[in-house]
Amino acid sequence: MPPSNPLPPKENALFKRILRCYEHKQYKNGLKFAKQILSNPKFAEHGETLAMKGLTLNCLGRKEEAYEYVRRGLRNDLKSPVCWHVYGLLQRSDKKYDEAIKCYRNALKWEKENIQILRDLSLLQIQMRDLEGYKDTRYQLFMLRPTQRASWIGFAMSYHLLGDYEMAISILDAFRTNQMKGTDDYEHSELLLYQNMVLAESGQYERALQHLQKFSSQILDKLSIKETSGEYYLKLKRFKEAESVYEDLLKRNPENVMYYAKLIEAKQLVDPDEKVAFFEVYKKEFPRAIAPRRLQLTEALAQPVFEKLVDEYLRHGLHKGIPPLFVDLRSLYAVQDKAETIEKLILQYLENLAKNGTFGPDPSEVKQPASALLWAYYYAAQHFDYKKDTDRALQYIDAAIDHTPTLIELFIVKGRIYKHAGDPVSAYQWLEEAQAMDTADRYVNSKCARYMLRAGHVKRAEDMCAKFTREGVPATENLNEMQCMWFQTEAAAAYKRLQQWGEALKKAHEVDRHFSEIMEDQFDFHSYCMRKMTLRSYVGLLRLEDVLRAHPFYFRAAKVAVDVYLRLDQHPLQDAPQTAEPDTENLAPSELKKLRNKQRKAKRKAEQESALQAQVQVKREQHHKARQQQEQGDPEAPQLDELIPDKLARAEDPLEQALKFLQPLRTLAADRIDTHLMAFEIYFRKDKPLLMLQSIKRAHRLDAAHHHLHDCLLRFQGWLDDNLASLNPAVAAVITKEIEPMVRGRSTVEMAEQFVSLPGTAVCQAAALSAARALRRHRPPRADQALQLATSLDYPDLSIQGCVDVLDSLRDGDFGPCEKEIEQYIEACRKKFPYAIAFKPASELSELADDRAPADDAPLQPKEIAVNN
Amino acid sequence: MNIRCARPSDLMNMQHCNLLCLPENYQMKYYFYHGLSWPQLSYVAEDEKGHIVGYVLAKMEEDGEDNRHGHITSLAVKRSHRRLGLAQKLMNQASLAMVECFKAKYVSLHVRKSNRAALNLYTNSLGFKILEIEPKYYADGEDAYSMMRDLSAFAAESKTEPQPTENLEIKSESAIISQC
Repeated sequence: MPPSNPLPPKENALFKRILRCYEHKQYKNGLKFAKQILSNPKFAEHGETLAMKGLTLNCLGRKEEAYEYVRRGLRNDLKSPVCWHVYGLLQRSDKKYDEAIKCYRNALKWEKENIQILRDLSLLQIQMRDLEGYKDTRYQLFMLRPTQRASWIGFAMSYHLLGDYEMAISILDAFRTNQMKGTDDYEHSELLLYQNMVLAESGQYERALQHLQKFSSQILDKLSIKETSGEYYLKLKRFKEAESVYEDLLKRNPENVMYYAKLIEAKQLVDPDEKVAFFEVYKKEFPRAIAPRRLQLTEALAQPVFEKLVDEYLRHGLHKGIPPLFVDLRSLYAVQDKAETIEKLILQYLENLAKNGTFGPDPSEVKQPASALLWAYYYAAQHFDYKKDTDRALQYIDAAIDHTPTLIELFIVKGRIYKHAGDPVSAYQWLEEAQAMDTADRYVNSKCARYMLRAGHVKRAEDMCAKFTREGVPATENLNEMQCMWFQTEAAAAYKRLQQWGEALKKAHEVDRHFSEIMEDQFDFHSYCMRKMTLRSYVGLLRLEDVLRAHPFYFRAAKVAVDVYLRLDQHPLQDAPQTAEPDTENLAPSELKKLRNKQRKAKRKAEQESALQAQVQVKREQHHKARQQQEQGDPEAPQLDELIPDKLARAEDPLEQALKFLQPLRTLAADRIDTHLMAFEIYFRKDKPLLMLQSIKRAHRLDAAHHHLHDCLLRFQGWLDDNLASLNPAVAAVITKEIEPMVRGRSTVEMAEQFVSLPGTAVCQAAALSAARALRRHRPPRADQALQLATSLDYPDLSIQGCVDVLDSLRDGDFGPCEKEIEQYIEACRKKFPYAIAFKPASELSELADDRAPADDAPLQPKEIAVNN
Repeated sequence: MNIRCARPSDLMNMQHCNLLCLPENYQMKYYFYHGLSWPQLSYVAEDEKGHIVGYVLAKMEEDGEDNRHGHITSLAVKRSHRRLGLAQKLMNQASLAMVECFKAKYVSLHVRKSNRAALNLYTNSLGFKILEIEPKYYADGEDAYSMMRDLSAFAAESKTEPQPTENLEIKSESAIISQC
């Protein structure tokens, strides 16, 4: 189609050169040619040139001007597909995908068959999961370019993603049969496997199996053939064949746990003894494999059998000195019997090893190496730590350290024992010891930093991390660039405990941005995977991205953000900025001048430093070369606003901000009750009764007996008592009807009283605290009982954190003034948890507080300490 | 511990494991690049809760038909899970896949000159040979050993595998083609 506003040949040639410059990223030259056209008064308002000039400016980072020129160009030539396309590209680079899609559609109105625009449109559609739109666009591309491979693949995939499997299969079949010879073997193999995946997803296992068998000689990925055909045989109940497939697979990889499970399924073994015998066979067949020996322990139920097997396993591990022995066996502890058996054995070994150097009581048994005793101590320490027996755990770890003072693992475990015992300061100090013994090991370094964060020492943790981050860049910056989310989620939680709200929010936002970035990352793969034919993995990527924010890192960051925003909504910060500005009003002019000079100098220094950092940042690490090649596609990535803690903590709309973090969880973490409880808290403060109701109902469906839910329900009823009359009658009617099954006509007072006698309240410390608070609130005469309920230590799930929560509640005045009771409670907790610094008297704490703490490091307050995981 | 081929949904957790254990880190996109270019080559070791305790991130270097070889971009096992032989098992699985799917002749990798433990693993347990020293390979200026391991043993192994029955008659298929 001819341009709607044609230029004469000379200018047209120049225009083509602008396009070429854009494609080759020669933006400066592009601007030069644009100027040559536009400086001629006759073409000063030429739409397409103006638009291209804008697009080029955008690539040079001049976004505002870019929008100005592109819009002006478009206004001058509304019928130009080029102008619309350019406007779409601009919006796309700004991540405004919905807008960009509209622009592409407009462009296509004026030039229906422009392949480039159709392709760009299809990419945006798949990125935005507009699957219907994607199908239409892929259909058009297919009709226009039926000879191109990507046309077929995209066409088929669009049907697959919509669940129209038959159509997808047919297209792939047709493509395969018509395909020219000589295609790459690997790509062909991947295509066949993709087609097979579609067949399986359509539920036609028989057909999928036949397909796989027919083409197996053309498929290079032998592992996939076996894994999928095993799957199909099981689905089709062809157990004999399944058996032989999984036996083959085990030969290939005897450490794959799933193969054993599937083989057991194929052999239809149910009896534990049969399973134990089954693993016996594979222990012999694969003597070097761990999986069959370990899985056998899980299956062995009968006491003597388990004891014999675990005895063998433990002896082997202690003899060889396998440090992860406890970590490996820990999950067996879920069965009390098994834990007791292990304890009995370990204590026997310790006794005999110390006495005779043997595992068993018979002194004529084979003598063990000296290290066996060490590993037995090490195991015992972890065993008793698991049982929360801090004293014995410490006793054994100290014995181990006496035995071999140079083993790093011992110090790590010692730190962990202190962490579990509620003393995060000693915990991180022991990790520091460990770290100092092998400064080249990043794992120990990371652990140490994490423990420091748990103890509230953010700055120190950053310094620790800095030993492994790029030189010349602040550690936090490098960690952020590398998307180091364990650090950022831990730091967010630490800042929250330290009540540094802005910093906590900054970390949470950084994590959120990583997730956005990872969503963006898929963009380039939409076309890349069609070329590479790795379509199964590509579909896996799409499905991963669909639920990306279900990842625990996001949940943790979102929880911190929601909690902090709720808190800021309730207690907004004072207007004065946190950094105390000197009081300039009362300064003499000369003093003021000095101060200003000083500030200017400081500012200049800061600027120089950041310039230096910028330079360092430009220097890429050598091994990132490949990645850079990957990333070239996106030089015009939009600049994100800088995250400034002080600004974040003063957000005008904290509840809206909280909702933004919560929103993904409501679909992706709908199975976690916390999601709905957080939602309730937000909507409660926003006075949104229907949404409160919805949150309560969803939480109720997940766990009707959850203690926090009772609390929400109670508060919701209280809210209704005050506000129901003023609601729209229709809304009020809905709420009354929906809430009835949960409230059952009770008043808040009745609910509060019944809450106390619920079965959960007697066995769960957190539930008891909730119930006690509610009772105190709604039945002040029963205050004594409420206090008694909250401060009891007789709960089976009693924990340090639980007691800290009670203590916080007492101090916050939830139970009225009770200085004496607080003292008594702390005293009682101290007896129960003698190591926990949360209950140590202030005098002891100051001794404990480490002298090495730098001045800017936040002091440690008992309530700011995280205990346990 | 379970050892299996990595899936796209493992990649984020591999990145996490990498950041905990190693000084050389990469953004997610680079993991995606591996997982979507050579999905067969990366493996993970996971514990019973499904947490990744070790991984190998691998790729193909396809410079020329005669020089097709695999490359280990990154290999890590958490210190808490050492001495279980995980690294060796991960590497062997990846190497077999390199041969089967991409006809790799050998596999290469780089290791820090100072990393004696890794060097020991590669030379003694895995049969790697030092090819040369690459000066200042790492961002902090440290030299790397460039190492390689011949994979012809794997090639022989994969050929002797029993071949599944082929060319079964399928009737249901040709009927559908006419639809489109």
